Amino acid sequence: MSKENTEDTSQGIDRRKFLSVAGVAGLGTVALSGCSTDRIEKLIPYMVGDEDNVPGIATYYASTCTECPAGCSLHVKTREARAIKLEGNPGSPINRGRLCARGQAGLQGLYNPGRLSGPQLRNADGSFSDVSWDEAITLLAERVGAAGASVAVVSGAGAGTFSDLLAAWVGALGGRLVRYQPFDNEALRAANQQVFGRNEVPTYDFAKAEYILSFGTDFLETWLGQVENQHGFAESHGFRDGHMAKHVYLGHRMDLTGMNADEWHAIHPGSDAAVALAMANVILSERNRAPNDANTLRSVLAPFTPERAAEESGLSPEAIRLVAREFASQPSLAVAGGIASQHRGATEACAAVNVLNYVAGNVGQTIHFGSGRPQGDGYGALEELAAAMDAGSVDVLIIHEANPVHSVPRAANFAARMAKVGFTVSTSSVMDDTAAHADLVLPNLHALERWDDLQPRDGVHALLQPVMMPVRDGKAAGDVLLEVARAVGGPLAQFDAASFEVYLKDRWAAVGRQRGRHDFRVFWTESLASGGLFDEPAVGDVVRLAPGARNVGYQRPTFDGEGDLVFAPYPSSMLYDGRGANKPWLLENPDPVTKITWQSWIEIHPDTARQLDVREGEVVQLVSPHGTIEAPVYPYLGIHPGVVATPLGLGHTAYGQYADGRGVNALDLLGGEDGGGFLPYLSTRVELRKTRRFQKLAKTEGNPRQLGRGIAEAMPFAAAVEGKTVAEVHGGPHEVNTELEQEAIVGWAEAQREKSLEGDYAGEHPNWGMAIDLSRCTGCSACVTACYAENNIPTVGEREVVRGRELSWLRIERYFEGGEDGEPFSTRVVPMMCQHCDNAPCEPVCPVFAAYHTPDGLNAQVYNRCVGTRYCGNNCPYKVRYFNWLSYAHLGFDDPLQLQLNPDVTVRARGIMEKCTFCIQRIRGAQNTARMEDRQLADGEVVTACAQACPSGAIVFGDMNDPNSRVARAGQDHRGYHVLGDLNVRPSVTYLAKVQHGGEH
Amino acid sequence: MRKLAMVVTVFAVAVFGALMAFAGSSPTLPQSPALSDSLTAPTLAAGDTANLRGPRQPVFFRHDIHAGQFKIQCQYCHFAVEVSQEPGIPSMQTCMGCHLVIAGSDSSSRAEIAKVRDANAAGEPIEWQRVHALARHAHFPHMRHVKAMGPNACMTCHGDVARMPQVFQVNNISNMGWCITCHLERNVTRDCSVCHY
Repeated sequence: MSKENTEDTSQGIDRRKFLSVAGVAGLGTVALSGCSTDRIEKLIPYMVGDEDNVPGIATYYASTCTECPAGCSLHVKTREARAIKLEGNPGSPINRGRLCARGQAGLQGLYNPGRLSGPQLRNADGSFSDVSWDEAITLLAERVGAAGASVAVVSGAGAGTFSDLLAAWVGALGGRLVRYQPFDNEALRAANQQVFGRNEVPTYDFAKAEYILSFGTDFLETWLGQVENQHGFAESHGFRDGHMAKHVYLGHRMDLTGMNADEWHAIHPGSDAAVALAMANVILSERNRAPNDANTLRSVLAPFTPERAAEESGLSPEAIRLVAREFASQPSLAVAGGIASQHRGATEACAAVNVLNYVAGNVGQTIHFGSGRPQGDGYGALEELAAAMDAGSVDVLIIHEANPVHSVPRAANFAARMAKVGFTVSTSSVMDDTAAHADLVLPNLHALERWDDLQPRDGVHALLQPVMMPVRDGKAAGDVLLEVARAVGGPLAQFDAASFEVYLKDRWAAVGRQRGRHDFRVFWTESLASGGLFDEPAVGDVVRLAPGARNVGYQRPTFDGEGDLVFAPYPSSMLYDGRGANKPWLLENPDPVTKITWQSWIEIHPDTARQLDVREGEVVQLVSPHGTIEAPVYPYLGIHPGVVATPLGLGHTAYGQYADGRGVNALDLLGGEDGGGFLPYLSTRVELRKTRRFQKLAKTEGNPRQLGRGIAEAMPFAAAVEGKTVAEVHGGPHEVNTELEQEAIVGWAEAQREKSLEGDYAGEHPNWGMAIDLSRCTGCSACVTACYAENNIPTVGEREVVRGRELSWLRIERYFEGGEDGEPFSTRVVPMMCQHCDNAPCEPVCPVFAAYHTPDGLNAQVYNRCVGTRYCGNNCPYKVRYFNWLSYAHLGFDDPLQLQLNPDVTVRARGIMEKCTFCIQRIRGAQNTARMEDRQLADGEVVTACAQACPSGAIVFGDMNDPNSRVARAGQDHRGYHVLGDLNVRPSVTYLAKVQHGGEH
Repeated sequence: MRKLAMVVTVFAVAVFGALMAFAGSSPTLPQSPALSDSLTAPTLAAGDTANLRGPRQPVFFRHDIHAGQFKIQCQYCHFAVEVSQEPGIPSMQTCMGCHLVIAGSDSSSRAEIAKVRDANAAGEPIEWQRVHALARHAHFPHMRHVKAMGPNACMTCHGDVARMPQVFQVNNISNMGWCITCHLERNVTRDCSVCHY
């Protein structure tokens, strides 16, 4: 099967990249035939050996992630000339070697089963038929040539050479270019213009802040660079040497960022400006630390008293004063502009928070302007274009890396307006919602198959390079532009580069000359190898208040409709604006807050749910003046009682087999009006109607409460500073073993010790272990996708998740605390995987010795021995063993997703138990390398996939027998504890208890 | 004189047999008809090849000529074996490196070499039949074994390929007991998770 694919893609190209060992390449399909040796396999050689590719050894290429605008740098792991894993490039100042779940799932965009094989032309009856690239380019050139200045382009591409070419290309035609991304911080930029005279998004230094105040801004999920923000947040908010920043979250919904706050206050939706102005007022009137020019704001801020803000927000005036004083007394940072402030007063809210930051002296300290983050044109520009489309002044519309039919409310009628354009073209590589309405689809090559560069900010020139042969017959959009230019001539004749690769290299040659690098070949090779050019970040510009700062104010934002509940859509942690909805890794990675997979849901406060008499899983209708959606209810304590929330991302009308017909598009409830340059997401009231139907939620959690089991431990900041242990804080172990139990435990340990003197077990061995710092872990679930990618874990789909059959070797358990009887609501997360217990309860119950202990301290699972009794799973107190119920290896990797499989890891067949192996293939690989070089393994040489991905650096792996290893030292930390440690199973995973501010005032 | 010659012959056969048994450490002797000299590969007519063990390959590639008679090192073609878990199979370019010049000495070899040249000219790689395919749930790092066992490493598992006109499985490499026997003899690890993961 894999052979056919590679043949498909090698047309017209010499077979250099032909998989040298078809058997290895076909692992996903061939390997499942079990142990028999009579199968026929072929060994297919390269025509010309590829010096970059040694079979059996991974080759890494540097590239750049395009899954969101953050611009994280990648190391793409390839084996036998196909990409098998995306990892962070440690050289990048943005993601520092880490990568989020969405970035890693870019691989499933590359191997997406829905990818188009060649251009598609719409027939009169609305269906599509295949056309050749030559025909397609000729057709487009004719249309573009005829349309001239009435060509319009919507592009979501990030700043870089392609975007510059596109802008010049459209400019030469005299056409219109709209650079459009959903959630483009339009209001924040407008507020920065108003208050500081800077129309830009600054960079935020979370690492330097000791007090972080978020106004409903999900900076740990989707807002700006998630990985970069998480790193900074973990640096300041992770407990270290008696220091830990405090994080306060003000917003109507406790999202993942709110879950990581020390305090969460559910302010009324739309009241953030009032609160921020009141805090600024308190700081200005009580302190003298503010910059001099801030004093001019005294009179402006005077009317915004904490009392008035309290009335608007539902907070108490005391709480507002308290937070304001804490905020002013240390290096702090307030962020706004995220989804919760996207109401009609979003610009006011961001301006108010700007003022708050300014009076606290944060601008220039934790907020830096002049970073050169690329700017989009915003929703307003897209609406203007749509109006022009309505007016018939657009003849050719090209849509590139954008899906406005899905990401713009249905009320804005983008699809109908596309029909008024003479000729619409999409460059989507899959048939998405917008492409399905286009006349011509020219599938772009995936980012891992083409040349380009990105400049996510000043000083970062990140390169993209093809890491393998294209999986499908696509053409890079840059080459399409150049070929069309060649055919059209006239104003486009200036774009005469032979190919986009040549165009890119010419630009880089110029960059090289500027830097005094005149040998282009060396400069280019070095740049490609390191992933681009990463300069030292520039020192931020000094900014002062602009006259507009005096115009800050607050008006209660309006909401459409008469319903009782404010509707709050939010970008999904996994699916973002919806572009992740065709990637099974993201659909099956549970939402970090609700733990729901594969579905849409409606969050509602349990009290409100009781009043309305709805319960979990009950399908309800939300009705706004603009539309209706239907989804099951998820009662959630972390939401304002007057708000219902639904994640964005699903409800596609077309996006391939995984997304089609799945969930609802929450944007259907919004009006499509331009709210002053941006789309106000938080602008409708809805009515909730019952349907009397139920749907089982595909949740992966067990009990949402810990019930005193001490799984996710936490301690107050004061206790952590004093160096108290978890046992001291909570008063001893959770349960006490009886004498008989102790006797059994001692006897068992003695028997183990005796056995450890025999055979392979004698002598010195490492003892692999892990330490997880819960004060750094945010629950973002990047590790979960890393684990799926590394270990060939199949996705099982919604129906099987409902049956509890997901195979997530590593899961993030999320527990609720408080929230009832007046206690503050909070959450805790704990990554849970096989604990590799020294006294593992799974081992003695295995009748066939498939579960056993290795000399190096691993709890191993020998798949070919396992007969599937499931005794081990029953006996595991952590429930981290997963039974492979169906042939998920076939069901979970639709062609060509099997090409993503890691050849170093066995693809498990049906009927066996599987679980976390501590990435044993990486351990054995590193051991092999060390032995080949006649040396010992060094600490840090073995990095598990989860530890490698973790954006906050919460996971450390290593040899616990080496007293100097990082993991051994972390294990000695006073915050260290073992989950269910009182069972005496002696786990190899040490958790460091979370630390929480609170109760200090 | 005739008697003496016979004794010498018998002695030579005995020594050869013992050598083979030692070198291959295997109960099955690689059979090759009319093996007159340990280094010179026999000339085979089409009829001679019918009974050879092992799968018939698209090109009748003779390891006994390449590795035996001409003593080309295994690693010349199996280029990755000392550094990687996979030994690597030679690219068409490697074949053509010699066969651009060498056309074959007899009609049968000329015919086979012509197939290689034609395939190369057509840009079509030769699809070899795989002889040794380890079960997928077992991992075998070739480089470790080559490093540990030195020059005779290949022969230990694959038999005396240098004397095989057509390669076949000398040892059942899918029989774990066979692996374990060797690991026991050499007192190296028998831990399951070293190979199975």
